[in-house]
Amino acid sequence: MSVVAAAVQLSGVFVAPVLPGAVQVLKARAQGRRGPSALQPHRTLRRLWGKSAVDPVGAGPVYRVVPPLVAACLLAALTLVPVGGRSGGLGLGHDAFVLVGLLALARFALTASAWDTGNGFALMGAARDVMIAVFAEALLVLALLLAAQPAHSTDMVAMSVAAAGGDIWREPAHWCGLLAFALVVVAETGRQPVDNPDTHLELTMIHEGPLLEYAGRDLAYLQWAAAARHWVVLVLAAELFLPHWGPFALRLVLLAAGVALLCVALAALETAQAKLRILRVPGLLALGSVVALAGAAAWLAGVGT
Amino acid sequence: MGWLALAGALILALAGACTAMPGGLRAGLAAQAAGMALLGAAGAVALADRQSVGSSWHEGASPALGLDPLSGLFLALLALTAVPTLIYARAYLRSPAAGALCGLFLLALTGVLVARDVTTFLAFWELMTLAPAAAMLVTRRDAQVRAAVQTYVAVTHLGGAGVWIALLALAAPGPLGAGAQTVVAVAALIGFGTKAGLVPLHTWLPHAHPVAPAPFSALMSGMLVKVALYGLIRVEFEWLGTPPRWLGFALLGAGLLSALVGVVSAIVQQDLKRLLAYSTIENVGIAVTALGASVLLLDPVWAALAFAAALLQIVNHAVFKTLLFLGAGAIERATGSVDLDHLGGLLRQLPWTGAAFGVGCLAIAGLPPLNGFASEWLTLQALAHLAFAGPVAGGVAGAVGLAGIGATAALALLCFVKVGGLVLLGESRREVPAVEVPVEMRAALAVLAALCVVLGVVPGLLIGSLAELAPGSPVVVSPAGLPAPALALVLVAATALLAWARGSRRAAPAPTWVCGQPVTPALRWTSAGFSKPLRLVLESAIRPQRALEVVRAGGLVQRVRYVRLVSSPVERLLYRPAIRAALDGAAHMRRLQTGNVRTYAAYLLALVLGLLALARMGALG
Repeated sequence: MSVVAAAVQLSGVFVAPVLPGAVQVLKARAQGRRGPSALQPHRTLRRLWGKSAVDPVGAGPVYRVVPPLVAACLLAALTLVPVGGRSGGLGLGHDAFVLVGLLALARFALTASAWDTGNGFALMGAARDVMIAVFAEALLVLALLLAAQPAHSTDMVAMSVAAAGGDIWREPAHWCGLLAFALVVVAETGRQPVDNPDTHLELTMIHEGPLLEYAGRDLAYLQWAAAARHWVVLVLAAELFLPHWGPFALRLVLLAAGVALLCVALAALETAQAKLRILRVPGLLALGSVVALAGAAAWLAGVGT
Repeated sequence: MGWLALAGALILALAGACTAMPGGLRAGLAAQAAGMALLGAAGAVALADRQSVGSSWHEGASPALGLDPLSGLFLALLALTAVPTLIYARAYLRSPAAGALCGLFLLALTGVLVARDVTTFLAFWELMTLAPAAAMLVTRRDAQVRAAVQTYVAVTHLGGAGVWIALLALAAPGPLGAGAQTVVAVAALIGFGTKAGLVPLHTWLPHAHPVAPAPFSALMSGMLVKVALYGLIRVEFEWLGTPPRWLGFALLGAGLLSALVGVVSAIVQQDLKRLLAYSTIENVGIAVTALGASVLLLDPVWAALAFAAALLQIVNHAVFKTLLFLGAGAIERATGSVDLDHLGGLLRQLPWTGAAFGVGCLAIAGLPPLNGFASEWLTLQALAHLAFAGPVAGGVAGAVGLAGIGATAALALLCFVKVGGLVLLGESRREVPAVEVPVEMRAALAVLAALCVVLGVVPGLLIGSLAELAPGSPVVVSPAGLPAPALALVLVAATALLAWARGSRRAAPAPTWVCGQPVTPALRWTSAGFSKPLRLVLESAIRPQRALEVVRAGGLVQRVRYVRLVSSPVERLLYRPAIRAALDGAAHMRRLQTGNVRTYAAYLLALVLGLLALARMGALG
């Protein structure tokens, strides 16, 4: 319960679009280009806000309600993720599995909008997205378990507190958790090798497919929601699996540094790695799950008698 | 409370008899609903006040009935699902015989729940099995129904032998030895597991549930499998004493297998009712996984919460599966088809039915803030707590269970977004518009949808009383991580606010983008197309059989024929070899039937001489 933490969580509404922008800048520099500024997603959202929405023939009320619903889910998810080891106390608690449920609701809504328009590209992307989500969700749940084991609770604030300091880094389970959650970050943000966020070819889109039929403020909501997903998984990764210690102010500084470091890592991974063939992505995610299971077993063997 | 239950049962029985008379169908079904409501009230009182009336389980063969909080929970659940179903049946059923069989079925379900000795339990158990089979044969007469009834009765009786063995062993006077207890536990698991639809004993379920009339499908998937789970809980957790640890591992493993096999089989279905039947297997698997976790957890508070998770999953699944099956029946009545590829656009053509069916799809996909999410959240919590501490085997089982249930949740999301999209959304794929169903059917669907919402927004009220039903009756505090009312409120309010902020400026209507071509029906996505990525990934597990036939004439392709078949691996690897072995063995045994009277007399003589020799040696005691 902290006003500063609540303010930081709500500032995520405005800071979230900077994260994909920062990754784009770093990727451009790594590829020898100048690239757009990190504020380009903000400019895109402002431009979209001024345009009118479209009205596909045959689409019903579900198509119209999905963008506000997806944005609402991600807004609620922003208030769940703790910052600096504290929660803002905005009424929704801070349970890890509730976060998983909110992300699932957002995915369901976007897929339902694809069915409502009947657009083939949207449905193709949505079908691939829900297929990858099957394996990504198992991996996410296992990675959260690895963070929850030292805290004996799925409360994300307790998990962040239990992961503080240097002792946790002696446990092999924590390193396994770091690897598994790194894979979760790549899968949830839709970055290579799982998905290509820069593609403009409809046949290669995965999570961007359902966005094809939206324009104007609807598209602004959905693009903001994609940026908010970046915020949620990057802040969670920094809170649970990157080193942190000290009082609240130091923790906030370390959080910012951790998120910046993760953006650099994402840009490096996207530059170094090509997109994996989609039928091989579940194999990669399953490998991550096996690593996570090994970590969980290692923790139990170390602690249990 | 006892008088309430007796009155309810009497009204139900009389109403069932009245329904069979000509002209008494609608009035009889309404009276049955009244009787069920009284029985449900009695059950709710037993659950809320934690009272018991009548006798508890006793050995011996004299009939005994009793009502205690666990039976009360299931009785209240039965009433909660049966009353809307009976109102629905007033407009759906056309033959008085089916109506009377409905009353008989409900009476048998009630009887199993309140039976306290072996004769009553087994009698009502058999009646409960045969009533829906009779209903299936009364309403339809074709070969598919006869084959389905044959499979249903044969497999449930073969597996149900386990129930007979377990209960007769429990009814024998005196305490059971350790070996006998293991036999009873295994027999009960097989017997009740067959009826509940646990893999690999589940093959009868997808054949039988879809061919029954919609109210019976709803009651079979909604309550018949739940009463089987009630029997499992009673025998394994109460009448047998403390469940052994191997049972926890067995329940966890069987539950996970059922959940995954059930949902993957559901995803590849094209018939809506068969899909819902496979989805029942998945949800039963989740409940049994939570039961396994409750056995393996060493912390008594969390063992009780895991037990509550199983019961909550049972309650929630009964409600939304009844809603979905009744909705499927309404859709069949309105459009004449349950083929997923030939529906579509029903949310606009049938607003009430479509909205209720949509709520059912959201609930079964386990999405906040509906009831499916609450029970799934509690199950995940129980498995996580299993993996936090304790012996390594149990903890690793908990971690594997967690991954499995997480994958199951995502697979259920895939399955039901596909169902909702194909049935309710987009443009209609039929030329003839759908006809809205009678108001009684719509009212039943609306009541069940409202129940889904209520149970999702306030699950905390139920979790406390469910945890108190756990064996050992520990004092538990409801876990605080799920702020369901706040979540529902925030989501609704935020969506409304953002929708208002969006405004309503839109361009003129335009067709969707398909690279500039006109949108034709051939470009529509089908059920098989949407599940294709998953089928490709799981190909080594599913092993579909494909046949592609291309007919050419004069160098041009005239016709392409593509057939794809996914057969059940359990049927392929377990049932067909077993049936073949049984038939081969029978063929060999047929050689004993020579048709010659002298050979039969020689058999009898050999048997008598053998028995005399054994008696002489003293082996017959």
